[in-house]
Amino acid sequence: MTTLAIDTAALTRRFGEFTAVQDVNLRVDAGQFFGFLGPNGAGKSTTIKMLTGLLAPTSGSIRILGEDLSQNSAEVKRQIGVVPEGMALFGRLTAEEYLRFVGRMYGLDRATTVQRTQELLEFMQLADERKKLITDFSHGMQKKLAMAAAVIHGPRVLFLDEPFEGVDAVAAGTLKAMLQRMIARGATVFLTSHVLEIVERLCTHVAIIHRGQLVAQGSLEELRAGQARADGASSSGGKQRSLEEIFLEIVGTDREGNPAATAPEQELSWLS
Amino acid sequence: MAELEAGKLVPSSAQEIPARVQVAAVTWLRWRIFINSTFRRRPAGARQAVGLAFAILVRIIVWPFLAMMVIGPIGGSGFFAWMAIAGNHPQRLAPLLAAITLLWLFVSINGQNVAAVVSNFDPSSLTRFPLRFGRYLVLRTFIGVLTASTIVGCLALLAAAVGIGVAKPALALPALVVLAVYALMNIFLMRMIGAWMERWLANRRFREVFSVLMALTVVGFQFLNFQRAPARALGGRSSWVLNILHSSGSQLHWLPPGFAANAILQVSHPFAALAQFTGLLASTAVFAAVFAIRLHKQFLGEYLSEGASRRANERSPQRNSARPQQAGAVAKAASTENVRPAFPPIVAACLRKEWLTLRGNGVQLIGMLTPLFFVVILNRSVFAGHSTYFLPGAIAYVLFGVLAGLYNIFGADGLGVQVYLLAPVRLRDVIVAKNLMSLAVIIAEAGLAWVLVSMLARTPIPLATQISTGLWTIFVIGVNLALGTMRSIQTPRRFVPGQAQRRRITPTNRTSGLLIMLVLFGSMALQFPVTLLCRYFDDPWLGAWIFGPLAFAAVAAYALLLHNADRFILAHRDVFAEELCKT
Repeated sequence: MTTLAIDTAALTRRFGEFTAVQDVNLRVDAGQFFGFLGPNGAGKSTTIKMLTGLLAPTSGSIRILGEDLSQNSAEVKRQIGVVPEGMALFGRLTAEEYLRFVGRMYGLDRATTVQRTQELLEFMQLADERKKLITDFSHGMQKKLAMAAAVIHGPRVLFLDEPFEGVDAVAAGTLKAMLQRMIARGATVFLTSHVLEIVERLCTHVAIIHRGQLVAQGSLEELRAGQARADGASSSGGKQRSLEEIFLEIVGTDREGNPAATAPEQELSWLS
Repeated sequence: MAELEAGKLVPSSAQEIPARVQVAAVTWLRWRIFINSTFRRRPAGARQAVGLAFAILVRIIVWPFLAMMVIGPIGGSGFFAWMAIAGNHPQRLAPLLAAITLLWLFVSINGQNVAAVVSNFDPSSLTRFPLRFGRYLVLRTFIGVLTASTIVGCLALLAAAVGIGVAKPALALPALVVLAVYALMNIFLMRMIGAWMERWLANRRFREVFSVLMALTVVGFQFLNFQRAPARALGGRSSWVLNILHSSGSQLHWLPPGFAANAILQVSHPFAALAQFTGLLASTAVFAAVFAIRLHKQFLGEYLSEGASRRANERSPQRNSARPQQAGAVAKAASTENVRPAFPPIVAACLRKEWLTLRGNGVQLIGMLTPLFFVVILNRSVFAGHSTYFLPGAIAYVLFGVLAGLYNIFGADGLGVQVYLLAPVRLRDVIVAKNLMSLAVIIAEAGLAWVLVSMLARTPIPLATQISTGLWTIFVIGVNLALGTMRSIQTPRRFVPGQAQRRRITPTNRTSGLLIMLVLFGSMALQFPVTLLCRYFDDPWLGAWIFGPLAFAAVAAYALLLHNADRFILAHRDVFAEELCKT
């Protein structure tokens, strides 16, 4: 039997009268490279915050690597790494100081922390910026540092919220290679991204959330074959379609099934 | 390196992370943040020495003022405690302890600005690490415990214990133990208040209500202060506060200050003293528990911000109603198209944006109204019958609050300032619009103060004084507009509401900050010697003759600056963009 890295049941989060995430049942096997997609405001970041214990669900349950997050949050947090939405860096530390702090917080001994800090700084090409405060880093450098902090303790499940946003192509390539190697070693990666090409290239499995509800979940092949839709609708056409086409087909309609986006020729006719 | 490239990110061992490791890590983090905040980029050698010297110099200037505010209450606590015991007035001990708690609370609220300079650390961010709740509670209780409020409060209690011990040596040890627990109780009380306030203040509506309540409290307190102590008895005007504390002695017996005082005073009756001490311990436990309840919700992932629900409302399907609204807006715009605009289009658009920003900031609007209440209170009490002299004072008082905003007119725009840089607009027009909105606020504030002083004056204010004050006001506004605009371009500071004190203070900002204070105070204080000159030469029109040319010069300087604004911005574009547009 395959171990589930992430398993949620009827996960729901409400903010006042607004339901941001409703009855989400996610199942991610250990070792999967899992892409979590959805349009802006669909509930991706809210879900990832709940999965990492940063936000309490209104109802429903979360199990990470078989452990109930609400019961054993400290154990679960020890096994996961997170690059959160706002990166949550301490601006007035240097990169080295920050990584040392994170390493110690995750219980690494001093020698291991120092060794991994040096390796990660080299790997992320941040070693030349040792004296610079994080607040003076560019967005891309901060992203790389957040990624380094997320993996310093060797997590078994890695949650990444838009990890490649603002990262240059060279660094993105390095990060992707690192993630692929982590997968090869048995880790699970759960990432959200707006860049569908990245998800298509990296991920083996995908879930799509729309208006707070999970509308599709499965492998890329299942999605292409139209077998992964939560509403049971089958896909149109038999040709091999891109993830972007599938995504637009699924989320490009409103609740009544009408196209959500306005036809380009009808609007903004004044644009040259 | 090899380990990473091979993808061997080995999971940590399964045993529990020792508490001392995590506590030490957080302590080290706080230390590094303090060091980096003090020395910024950790410059080497001579630069570090210069940075240290500058930091010491600033502290030498600033700390005596802070010390005066601190040493007084600490010395006073010791003295009053000694007096209470030596003078055989033990009933005064409980009010004294209550006063120390109030002082603790006061410094805790007002000391935020001092503490925040060395702390840009949000302790709630620790929830993402593998911490158990107990450990999180301990960290949250003691992180940042060395704030001004704790230091002042603990020293005041220590002074009280010393005072008691000197007056009656047999009480020294019990006083030390009981007041140590009382200090712990205060720490939990302040933490509890802080945590719950953080929760409530996350709601915009509560923030506005709270601002109104705070403004009313401050105004009400001042009103009572002056009502109870008229101008002829200024020296003893705070005695009514002490009287209230004295008369509250019997009620305090059932509160922590009473428990603490009685536990010390009844030491010769062990059971009674123990009962009182238990009451104090129970109070401490209650405050700690209420604090823990709040923290536990935060630990479990409570969402404080109201942003999500607000976004939700914005996102709710309103598409059907959007088109008629849009059509209405277009029709309205078309109907007003032929009306001759009061301002050029760019200025008008920027003005509208500034107005919308101001209108949406309820807290700022309340802050603008508060000084006017003080003008009324002062006019009816301390300056009753002296409106001639009070008029410039009242204008200076209300201006002081609003003029400071002229020195960073782009600060609140943050990243939005890029629109001005990218759009085909003259930045001069943007500055004009921003200054016009500021000017409207200043004129409204000063005008209302003027009307209030005139209405409440027992005798009409002489025309010469009014004209002199008017010209002086123009001079002050002109000088501050000109220098404020220059400073806004040369050394802008990005202002993020709620994080205003967390931004790094650069030496340039620090120097220009001192300059601002000098200009602000200097331009306003000029009124004082001129008034003396008028009296010395017995010529009420002298002020008008002095301030007339000054006002003209200030307005001319501002006009000259506006004329060259685009060139000036171009010369400082790098700094301007770097500070305001950095993501």
